[in-house]
Amino acid sequence: MQYKDYYKIMGLSRTATQDEVKRAYRKLARKYHPDVSKEKDAEAKFKELGEAYEVLHDPQKRAAYDKLGSNWKAGEDFRPPPNWDEGFEFKGGFADGGGFSDFFEQLFGRTGFHPSGQEQHGFHVRGQDSHAKIYIDLEDSIHGATRSISLSSPQMDAQGYMQVKHRSLSIKIPKGIKPGQHIRLAGQGDPGSGGGKAGDLLLEIAFNSHPLYRFSDTDIYLDLPVTPWEAALGAKIKVPTPEGSVDLKIPPNSRQGTKLRLKGRGLPAKTPGDFFVVLQIALPPADTERAKAVYQKMQQELDFNPRLSLGVKQR
Amino acid sequence: MNPHDLLPVHTGTVIEDDSLTLEQLCNACGVHTDWVISLVEESIIEPQGGEIQVWRFSGGSLVRVRSALRLHRDLGVNLAGIALALDLMEELENLRTQLKIMGRN
Repeated sequence: MQYKDYYKIMGLSRTATQDEVKRAYRKLARKYHPDVSKEKDAEAKFKELGEAYEVLHDPQKRAAYDKLGSNWKAGEDFRPPPNWDEGFEFKGGFADGGGFSDFFEQLFGRTGFHPSGQEQHGFHVRGQDSHAKIYIDLEDSIHGATRSISLSSPQMDAQGYMQVKHRSLSIKIPKGIKPGQHIRLAGQGDPGSGGGKAGDLLLEIAFNSHPLYRFSDTDIYLDLPVTPWEAALGAKIKVPTPEGSVDLKIPPNSRQGTKLRLKGRGLPAKTPGDFFVVLQIALPPADTERAKAVYQKMQQELDFNPRLSLGVKQR
Repeated sequence: MNPHDLLPVHTGTVIEDDSLTLEQLCNACGVHTDWVISLVEESIIEPQGGEIQVWRFSGGSLVRVRSALRLHRDLGVNLAGIALALDLMEELENLRTQLKIMGRN
């Protein structure tokens, strides 16, 4: 078991006041809160912070922790000295249960964990619904699919200890499901107590990023590289869509960034989304004499100044 | 043979827009009805239907109610603050999506 330096985690000195502990917690909690933070490992850091705060904001736990002394280094192998906690009484009521470190549990035990709300009242209680987010590929939604997902969830064992349970489920991905929608799997949530029904498992759908396409709700976007002459003169081009390639007419005088819409070729939802092609004009490199000659000819033949609106006199 | 083939395949139901009752939403998020009602009063989530008995919530409410709960529990944010934070977070998310569509991530 490794020693945890709760002061270091919170960026505090050992002499910090209770007010400073609270302020440090608030500040770091905002920084690492999984709903707000885009930091890597935000969730793990937030958990660690919660544990540190649980100990340091409670004068009794803090005093007991301080009694271990300040010579320990974070990560050092740790055994609590005998009777270290003599005379301390720890109150229960930990924040969210499940997931404090071995170090914490060794010191303060696990007795403080209360199963969430309703289960305490007793008989025939339906289990809680549980939640998970799953990532699928666009193609899974376009064609429908069966995917295997693995889930891990903290669960209470018969003695009331938290155990992290891992399990795999094979699920049907219904055709046309879109990011942000939920699938309900009846009876796959937490088990009920006293013979009550199990809760449901609610899966939130998100899409993996795709090499070609980008998504916005039910719409799909594709960047399509085109040559200057295709954009200028118009063309008929084959473009890939999730349901196979289609012929797309590029109108003459199309500009960089022009958006062309293929109605109803987005995600096959109840109201199907649209498929947007965004034109990206690619310039051929002037890396041969012939290519240079063509550019020079354009320079001589075309009276073209893209900077007219900038109001600077060109020579 | 793929080992997955041995597992039973579960078929769920898609939660369609505006199909969750107040009770289902509370059950799903493990919260009390009073809390959800106060979220509606702050227009943090917006059900279809006028009377409380016929309220129907969208699947997206599941995400907002749980985020709201965590913001309240972990950061001590009050209802007005939760409303503001969630709206700003949603706007940020939309802007990020927009950025991705423009291919400048």
